[in-house]
Amino acid sequence: MNKAERLIDLIAMLLEAQRPVTLERIRNSIPGYDQATMASFKRMFERDKSELREMGIPILVEQLDPLEDVQGYRIPKEDYYLPEITFTPEEKVALLLVNRLSSEEVTPLSREAAAALRKLSPDLGDGSRLGQTGSLHWRFAPQREPVEGLTLLLEAAVGQRSVRFVYHSLGKGKAREREIDPYGLYFERGAWYVVGYCHLRKEIRSFRVSRIASAVELANPRESGPDFSRPPDFKLEDYSRILPWEFEEGAEYEARVLFSPRIAWQVERDLGDVYRFETAADGGGILHVTVRNEDAFLDWVLPFAEDAEVLSPRELREKVRERLLRTLDKLGGEGGA
Amino acid sequence: MVPDAEGRIQRLLSLIPYVLKNQGVTVTELCNVFGVSRAQLMSDLDLIFICGQPDYTPADLIEVEIDGDRVFIRMADYFARPMRFTAAELSGLYLACRAVVELSGPPASSALTSAMEKIAGALEGGTLSEDDISKSVDIHPPTPEHGITAELSSACAQHRVVEMEYYTYGRDDIARRRVHPLSLEFGMGHWYLRAWDERSGDMRVFRVDRIKDLSVTAEEFEPPEEEDEESPPGPYGVTASGGIEVRLRFSPALARWAKEQPIFSQTKEERGRLVCTLRTDNLTWLERELFKYGTEVDILAPPELKERMRVRTRSLLSIYQ
Repeated sequence: MNKAERLIDLIAMLLEAQRPVTLERIRNSIPGYDQATMASFKRMFERDKSELREMGIPILVEQLDPLEDVQGYRIPKEDYYLPEITFTPEEKVALLLVNRLSSEEVTPLSREAAAALRKLSPDLGDGSRLGQTGSLHWRFAPQREPVEGLTLLLEAAVGQRSVRFVYHSLGKGKAREREIDPYGLYFERGAWYVVGYCHLRKEIRSFRVSRIASAVELANPRESGPDFSRPPDFKLEDYSRILPWEFEEGAEYEARVLFSPRIAWQVERDLGDVYRFETAADGGGILHVTVRNEDAFLDWVLPFAEDAEVLSPRELREKVRERLLRTLDKLGGEGGA
Repeated sequence: MVPDAEGRIQRLLSLIPYVLKNQGVTVTELCNVFGVSRAQLMSDLDLIFICGQPDYTPADLIEVEIDGDRVFIRMADYFARPMRFTAAELSGLYLACRAVVELSGPPASSALTSAMEKIAGALEGGTLSEDDISKSVDIHPPTPEHGITAELSSACAQHRVVEMEYYTYGRDDIARRRVHPLSLEFGMGHWYLRAWDERSGDMRVFRVDRIKDLSVTAEEFEPPEEEDEESPPGPYGVTASGGIEVRLRFSPALARWAKEQPIFSQTKEERGRLVCTLRTDNLTWLERELFKYGTEVDILAPPELKERMRVRTRSLLSIYQ
């Protein structure tokens, strides 16, 4: 007999029972158990029971009679049933949007979110059901990072468990195995990053999840954790808002960059909440930007071409000039104006 | 338990209440909602059909009726409601809702906030690890002000023609356009507007943060018949097609990075360096793009691109002399 059938029958019986049901009755009632000897039935039942509990089904063990030592099992309806929730039409549409995000596996625990939405689906009726979202004009593209890895990293961060994975950092280095204590995850410009203490580098670092070249595994799977405690003063925002040119040590200084009216609005929109932006009368503007990594800064500012000019400091202007001269040299052209 | 078997039990326990509440629902709808094939759904219904209460006589079994394409289930009142959420499901749902709130903004954000309150309320606190998640996950909205996406969303819903000033990265040019907005799509970290473009007479994808200015007109357009729901989102970014073949060679320092970029998808490794081939219909965007890589890239073809880069670099140098 099919195991799924046996389990559905068991849930149905224990849900409907007025009084706790004895093992004896379960064995005699459900066809899936009847062929087994008492001993093998008990093993089978124990396995089924723990699997169902793992799925979140509340199976209670109760004394059947205060005078007798006989136990019975039941599933209290009030603990099993999801309470009925009435959503407004706007809320329903918004939850359908969440369903789209989950089915593209954009966030950790997406599969669990999708399962929760399926459970809510009877309450999402009225023509805006989960499967009928034709009128919904918001969509999400699938995310590149495997959702299993994201989910494990999140659970590890919440449970303070160390993890291990093979990581390809940028540059010439070979992929290496890292052990990190994950403190949190952030999503920035379409990519997920995990921040944590890196045992290899002995400092807090960000890792781009798409560069993880192996499965993510717990570092101490035999222990129950927590493996570390997150520093009380750690704030995820301190790391998640760092722009590429603020990475790395190196002295920090402020640079001023002038943007032409053609492009200034885009820069202000992109970075106006991070840096001071002075808008000029002609629609252009000056961005006061913090720089620690000059190469990364030039990688960002030079593609604006003539629409951006580094005004200060003088040393940075000189760096721009040097890089352009080297570029020209490589292109086989001659320097100078 | 093997995940498949567990998934099947979970699905059956949600499927039964779904049909009980929506009697006569179509097989197609059930397949969509539960993300299974028709064959799988039929086998699920067959299974439900033989389950029930002791003594499993016809009077004790769950009744499943398939009438044409419509599904009815009776005699299963004990499965009238789905199972409560597990802790992980609640966390997952909370996180997915937060992501939508952050990424899409209004109008979904306010509706979701109240929906989540209702859910948390119904579960009496449950095990909602809201705090843990807030401390452990940070989701950043893409650049554009949520005001823009909200305006575009209502234009999509009401089929209103939109006039906008749009910066085309490919041609490095700002121009006014009139478009018929159809959908908003999130991919590669940005919101994109899929719209029919009056000027080119074709469907186009516009990056929302490159819309400088927009106004939703009073003019209504006729939406295209049956927007094909299944068409994959995208492509986003610069379209990799056109008559010009470009070949670039990245230094070992940039090789790995370049490999991650969707526009450089056609690659070949050469002693640690990476040769990328792509096609484009104009070189303007590449001039800007190439400034990003400085001396870490060699332009192998076309020669015209190399010459244009020389001119452009000299022009940029003149600012700094």
